Amino acid sequence: MRRSISQKNRRAAWLGLLPFLLFCLAFEIVPILLLIRDSVFSKAGTLTMSNYKQVLAPLYLKSFWNSIRLSGITALIGTVAGLFIGYSIYRWPSQRIRNLLITLSDVTTNFAGAPLAFAFIIILGSNGLVTQFFLKSLGLKIYPAFSIYSFSGLILAYVYFQLPLMVLLIIPAFGGIKKEWRESATNLGADTSAFWWHIGLPILAPSLIAGFVLLFANAFGAYATAYTLTGSRLSLVTLQIGFTITGEVLHDPGIGQAMAILSLIIMGTSIGIYRLAIIRAERWNRH
Amino acid sequence: MAYLSLTNISKNFENVVAVKDFNLNIEKGQLVSFLGPSGCGKTTTLRMIAGFEIPDTGTIFLDGVDISNIPPNKRDIGMVFQAYALFPNMNVRENIMFGLKMQRRPKDEMIRRAENVLSLIRLENTAKRYPHQLSGGQRQRIALARALAIEPRVLLLDEPLSALDAEVRVVLRGEIRRIQSDLGITTVYVTHDQEEALSISDVVVVMNNGLIEQVGSPQEIYRKPNTRFVATFIGTANEFHGFVSDSSHVQCDEINIYSTRVGKLATGVKVVLLVRPENVEIYDQPPGRDTQNVFEGKIDTITFHGAITRLGINASGKIITADVSISSRAPVTHNQHVWLSFDPEYCQVMAE
Amino acid sequence: MDISRKSKPTASQIIFITLFLLYMIIPIIATYVFSIATRWDRSILPEGYTLQGYRDAMKNPYFLITLKNSLVLSFGSVLVSLLLIVPTVYWVHLKVRLAKPLLDILMILPFGIPGVVLALALVQVYNFAPLNRSPVLLTSAMVVFTMPFMYRSVSNNLEAIDIPTLTEAAQSLGANTIDILVKVIIPNILPGILSGSLLVFATVFAEFTLARLIVGAGFKTFPMLLVEYTRKDGTIAAGLSVISFTIAWIVSLLILWVGGKGMKTSQDVIKAH
Repeated sequence: MRRSISQKNRRAAWLGLLPFLLFCLAFEIVPILLLIRDSVFSKAGTLTMSNYKQVLAPLYLKSFWNSIRLSGITALIGTVAGLFIGYSIYRWPSQRIRNLLITLSDVTTNFAGAPLAFAFIIILGSNGLVTQFFLKSLGLKIYPAFSIYSFSGLILAYVYFQLPLMVLLIIPAFGGIKKEWRESATNLGADTSAFWWHIGLPILAPSLIAGFVLLFANAFGAYATAYTLTGSRLSLVTLQIGFTITGEVLHDPGIGQAMAILSLIIMGTSIGIYRLAIIRAERWNRH
Repeated sequence: MAYLSLTNISKNFENVVAVKDFNLNIEKGQLVSFLGPSGCGKTTTLRMIAGFEIPDTGTIFLDGVDISNIPPNKRDIGMVFQAYALFPNMNVRENIMFGLKMQRRPKDEMIRRAENVLSLIRLENTAKRYPHQLSGGQRQRIALARALAIEPRVLLLDEPLSALDAEVRVVLRGEIRRIQSDLGITTVYVTHDQEEALSISDVVVVMNNGLIEQVGSPQEIYRKPNTRFVATFIGTANEFHGFVSDSSHVQCDEINIYSTRVGKLATGVKVVLLVRPENVEIYDQPPGRDTQNVFEGKIDTITFHGAITRLGINASGKIITADVSISSRAPVTHNQHVWLSFDPEYCQVMAE
Repeated sequence: MDISRKSKPTASQIIFITLFLLYMIIPIIATYVFSIATRWDRSILPEGYTLQGYRDAMKNPYFLITLKNSLVLSFGSVLVSLLLIVPTVYWVHLKVRLAKPLLDILMILPFGIPGVVLALALVQVYNFAPLNRSPVLLTSAMVVFTMPFMYRSVSNNLEAIDIPTLTEAAQSLGANTIDILVKVIIPNILPGILSGSLLVFATVFAEFTLARLIVGAGFKTFPMLLVEYTRKDGTIAAGLSVISFTIAWIVSLLILWVGGKGMKTSQDVIKAH
């Protein structure tokens, strides 16, 4: 029955997708395309790159630099720490504990945003519990060298949702390393470090790269955590774009559009690299 | 002393006996198969030789030296795994050179040896390919080449063919035997496939429940099984339960079977008598008076197996399996009345 | 040397997991305790406990308003998502499999679009009444934003049950189209629909960026109230954080319970990339 659908019916079947496709066009595709168009046209309607040239001003350049640095650092910390913690979870003897830790990672990676930011203010704010503990018990003044409202604080808060995400990404990759590879390497004279150097890490490499770029994109697009913690103290791309919408800071809307398109390019590149790395990683699994 | 010697080896996994009192001597250059059903301890024994498992008791000697405490990466024993276990991130040549690289051999020697083993397995043109670009049979040959490249003192093969198609299996087992005897390398081969074990081994070790059931040449194992397990695990056999009635007869219910294989079993001992289907003769007419152990029956089932036809014959209530070559006799039909006989030479008798 | 698991964890494993647990749990516990502490800046443990923070929070007229707004928004988004995504996924699986690559791409897009960019694009296009800055526009944005969650859950579920064979089997037993849908298909994809709905619900409930940037003060949501209080009153903010943490936990556990072993929440989303 299914296979004998006529040409006409098949075309009619596509009509069933119409509501969904129209919705996507209306609230996703067309607005983004218009945003791209607006970013390269002046108010007078001529093609211009002036919006993009304005982004080169120190304030906006700085926000890109901050966003890239914050995303890069937290993605790197998340990747490296996630590798070791993921492996520790993967090798943990008790299945129940393993599932519990995976569930914890699952929930905490979604804890980004205001509640998370506030939790860090409670423990590490200028009157925070840990801050006070260091000051009163150890005589250590961690402020102003460290501040939860600054770049270093953002790193700590971002890693909170980056790390469990990496853990979730990397654990299946460990499952892809077969016991026989380890044993045959041993049989051929390799010790533990030789195995990881020649076989384990090369096999994990695509998954690690995929994890890194996904974490990078994850941090680059984040807004709520940074907004709650720093307000306008620190310049990040997402915060700047937010300001052009709310009008809190007087901006030329064209600059916001240009920044939005540039971040789409950065995000798109990250997702593209991620896809390539995943295809590469799956090649090992087909084995 | 034998080249590879396992003495009093025992191994338990969390109170489950995997291997018990295993004693075996393997001569240099022999191909020895460990044959048995899954869970019989054959793979565990192999892994103890490789060093992946530590025996609870006993010692393993290789060339007169106790290797029980040498870590697996220093034993110089090559191993081929069931699931190929080629490193997916390395091409064929890199896979083969890996063991040599661990030994820090000079580059030109590594390349020369890789070429040698590749020509040995006749896959010279695959050096630059990656494992995922090769067929299962090719992968397993590369795995063999990789194990051979380090010129190991002993070669271990853990069910190397069980992941392959039937056709490839037959070709590759011949290939393994050819390379093994060309190189004269001492080899231990684990399999659950009796045909495989019988066709390529010098010595077959039949195992069950962690114990050795019988050690012998393939012919001995097949023709003179020592235990009922060996007799039924290898090939099929008709079983008759009864007791020894004199030095050459076994009484099974109403029938008395003449056998030259009663041996030293005392009269009255409860025994099982086994006859393989190919040792059951079928006649359309009552056979001559000098034929021993003749019974009457009716053909119950007929199963065509190609070269032979397997008959199930109902002889006064008991179904007896017989293999006949149809080409050499008149066709059989369902419910046909036939006579059958067992050659006393092939009536195995063993105590129950 | 063996890669298989040993019976006891190693020292380095214990250290890594302990540090991980401390990092992940301390902020949550601190928030819970802080929300019921009288004063907690002079000692290791709070000086006393009180529920005053919660009472104060609930006295605020905005507490109920924002809670209601967030619930309306979350249920609304789930409803739209169900009506829009579920039939589409079903249709693609059964009738137009050729459209699957197109759908896959459309489902990846939201991951590549940061919330602020989506907000900017929507606010600029829909700058006219009645859509401008409206809860309806916000709901649409939330549906776009959470599309992959619903799609993944339902699609995985559909892949797992082989709809064509089930349909043919039901037909051969004399069932009509409606019987098949109501008695065979829907019960079988219910776990996927439920876990997708729960994911959408939890995400929309906690979502701050789109709500603040698309509607702003005109339609205040629960997370917006929370951010406001982080700058005004710590105890109340802690109480509100606890409420959103708790909702997130409950929903996560419900998803695990509904989906069983095969339906990992974030892992599903990750695979969707």
